[in-house]
Amino acid sequence: MSRINTVLGPISAEELGLVAIHEHIGYGMPGSELDTKWWKTPEERYEETVPKLRKFHENGGGTFVDATGICNGRDIDYYKSLSRKTGVHIVACTGFVGGDTALPHFARASVDYLARQFIHEITDGIGDTGSKAGVIKVGVSRGGRMTELDKRIYRAAARAAVATGVPILTHLAIDARPAIDIFNEEGLPLDRVLFGHVDDGVNAESTPDTWIIEQGGRLGFDTFGYETELPDPPFWARPRKDRMDHFLRFVQGGHADKVLASADANCSPLGWPGVKGHTVNYIFEVLIPDLRNNGVDEETINKIFVENAADFLSIRN
Amino acid sequence: MTDTTTSTPTVNTVLGPVSADELGVVAVHEALLSVVPGAEHAYDITMDRAEIFEILAGKLRDFRAHGGGTIVDSTGMFHGRDVNLYEALSRSTGVHIVASTGMGPEEMLGGYFLTPQTNPPTPWPAEKFADLFTKEIAEGMVVPRVERRGAAGLVASTATAEGMTATDESLFRGAARTALNTGVPVSIRYGKDALGDLGVVLDEQLPADRIVVGGLDRRDAAAAGAPLEVAQRGAFVALDHVGLDDDAYLTDRERALLVLDLVKAGHGNRILLSSNAIGVAKGQPDYDLPFSYVVSKFVPFAKSQGLSDEDARRILVDNPRDLLTLR
Repeated sequence: MSRINTVLGPISAEELGLVAIHEHIGYGMPGSELDTKWWKTPEERYEETVPKLRKFHENGGGTFVDATGICNGRDIDYYKSLSRKTGVHIVACTGFVGGDTALPHFARASVDYLARQFIHEITDGIGDTGSKAGVIKVGVSRGGRMTELDKRIYRAAARAAVATGVPILTHLAIDARPAIDIFNEEGLPLDRVLFGHVDDGVNAESTPDTWIIEQGGRLGFDTFGYETELPDPPFWARPRKDRMDHFLRFVQGGHADKVLASADANCSPLGWPGVKGHTVNYIFEVLIPDLRNNGVDEETINKIFVENAADFLSIRN
Repeated sequence: MTDTTTSTPTVNTVLGPVSADELGVVAVHEALLSVVPGAEHAYDITMDRAEIFEILAGKLRDFRAHGGGTIVDSTGMFHGRDVNLYEALSRSTGVHIVASTGMGPEEMLGGYFLTPQTNPPTPWPAEKFADLFTKEIAEGMVVPRVERRGAAGLVASTATAEGMTATDESLFRGAARTALNTGVPVSIRYGKDALGDLGVVLDEQLPADRIVVGGLDRRDAAAAGAPLEVAQRGAFVALDHVGLDDDAYLTDRERALLVLDLVKAGHGNRILLSSNAIGVAKGQPDYDLPFSYVVSKFVPFAKSQGLSDEDARRILVDNPRDLLTLR
């Protein structure tokens, strides 16, 4: 029996449909909640978010994976209401975007404690929400080198993934060697790890993408849409064609079963301005048409967004 | 100095400005609900608001029963501060509660301040902290992402124990500028060097009598003569671990002798006593010394060692009033 934890309960892999594998309902660095410059009313939040999810659903989107870490404004009760009202399955994560987003209580914690936190959120539920996490988020802190805390989080995540069968999503794939060493040491098969943001403008050149695939990992081309062509691009933007060429090298180079794609957009950002006009629906409006224009067939598109996602997300016991 | 004769001197409490003369006996460095940042998300920590309220209300009633009038929650804006809870507690118990803004040390900050989403991720400078803290007084304290409530009555920061970091310095300077902007006092807990850390705040041209230096009953500071030097510079000297039985701090007997020495040296108007007790602790060990300990146990002992009634009253009532009164 296949099983994926969504915020409204477990569903079968057959129900996932097209998956946006790395997205955010709303993301903010810990502490941003203290700065009123980012505050919005609940009405504004719903107004910004619901139409995007409804459109995602209308476009044929099935599942939205929220990769917002524990201290970054993750809000399970809100996700539940959004999911129930829009029909979009929402998968929430446990874990942290990176060591630099883990607040002191967790930054000081042992691998064992962090693993128990993750396992609890996967098997018992997140806080008092009753919802169980469906993926584990880990990441590399700013600077592009794994810190001691990043490594502690990766090791705890690996143990939780082995114990529960839930997969791991990474924020950044740069400095992949220590990450893969940790996963190997903990006995986690590398196809349970999606090495994310291999396509981002800052780190793509120095991310060992081919080597990661050779080791057995999956690659996340999941910052689609953060383009230098935008009127006010963020610092991690990249020319659209560069990103697509990069992606096609893997899709058309025999690795279509090892890649996933997403837009890493915020429906309603919590602690930063966001990027105007960039939404999860970039997948339908630009990315999939671009893939078709580049000769990628429907079977491959289905593989990337449906089959690979289902294989990755299904709890593996 | 501003002429305060034309308007009644007031102190910011969670229920609004209160006449400074109404404060009574004040504990300046205490914690009501103290939550290590992030602990609210921990799988093994529960936050039962009814239970938290009941425990805190009991401790505040005990404080009041022993003559206490005002508690200052000096934990800043990011260590479990719960303004709505404190308002209800103050209404229920009749104890004035002064809540604080500020943050620190660096380790206790969220990534928003340390690795912001800019390239490079430059930590916040003093001016941005000053703006954040000033708004907590000018516009009210935040209930995160919900609303602003009443004004903070103090801006508090702490330096890293191993020595002040660059971000700690930005926090201290931001706190000093907040005090200059708004008239609230500054509380600092020094890291390694009491006088050096005080110097950072003084460098912002904040008058010394707007500053309280906490932790001066630490054994290393006392041995180096820091309490006397801080008093000589005109800042308030907080001997604020009263009741703590710990190798790093003076015993109550030694603490009482230090009080008497400072009085004798003419600094009776600079001394503050408090215990850094924690009403309810989450993500850290309990430290549930009664808030009344200073007034019910320590001060009688200090009197037995020679502290006059007049000086005791000055330390418990007049000095904290002078510190907390808005300028």
